[in-house]
Amino acid sequence: MSKNISLKEAYPPGDLAIWVIIYVEFITFALLFLGYAFSRRLDVELFNASQSVVSQTSGFVNTIILITSSYFVVKAVHSIKNMTKETQQESNKEASKWLLFAIVCGLAFITIKITEFSNIFGMGINLSTNRYFMFYIMLTVFHFLHVVLGSGILFLIYKKTKINGYLPNDSKGIETGASYWHMVDLLWIVLFPLVYIIR
Amino acid sequence: MTKITRTLEYIWIVLIILTIFAYFLGYFKYISTPLVAVLLITTFIKGQLVIDYFMDLKKVRLKYRLIPILWLIIVLSLIATAYYLPLS
Repeated sequence: MSKNISLKEAYPPGDLAIWVIIYVEFITFALLFLGYAFSRRLDVELFNASQSVVSQTSGFVNTIILITSSYFVVKAVHSIKNMTKETQQESNKEASKWLLFAIVCGLAFITIKITEFSNIFGMGINLSTNRYFMFYIMLTVFHFLHVVLGSGILFLIYKKTKINGYLPNDSKGIETGASYWHMVDLLWIVLFPLVYIIR
Repeated sequence: MTKITRTLEYIWIVLIILTIFAYFLGYFKYISTPLVAVLLITTFIKGQLVIDYFMDLKKVRLKYRLIPILWLIIVLSLIATAYYLPLS
């Protein structure tokens, strides 16, 4: 008699607590996304006119940067997960290289976003300018803070890889940080077309 | 190069191509009402790829994989509703 054995893993990668945080973030951002989409219905002309002020190019470049950084983080996780006792040093070194690339991407995102914010705020735009900019500032600044935190988390993981701190069968820490970073990426993937592109 | 590495590279390339597609639609002001749906579908594909391959939830029990997928479907469907419902 054949047994139906499930090969699926019981829990998502990383600490289960990070997934609780991720689900809460999903709900928070969902409310902001939908608030934006339904508020737009009240004054489509205003939203379209205001949207033309923000730089689609910087939104686009930042999307490319976040997707690429997520890819680097996946490579780092794979280096640690595939580690054996013999390759511990080599795997940590490999992971630190990919994490460094990801951190540089995070810093590039932050730099571009600060430039974008200084342009917007330099025009005298603020939360009370109109409803579009209220959502634009709330969504992008809130997301920006997540990128800053995520970059900090990646840096802590990077420091651990530099001292060969990860051991075989010890990938939970890096997976936890990676899950958070991918969430930041996923949120931006929805935010970019919604706030910058769709009219 | 291992199979999984190659798959991840393909995923990254698809994500980049879909992002360029979205950017050009916006940049050349091609966004019309039918194209909003196309853009939301491509956003769903990108999100799904990140969930399955970057978050690595494809290997995990369905209930954990379904939570972000359902989140994505609900959010994008409601955004579509907001754009397609006739204005009063």
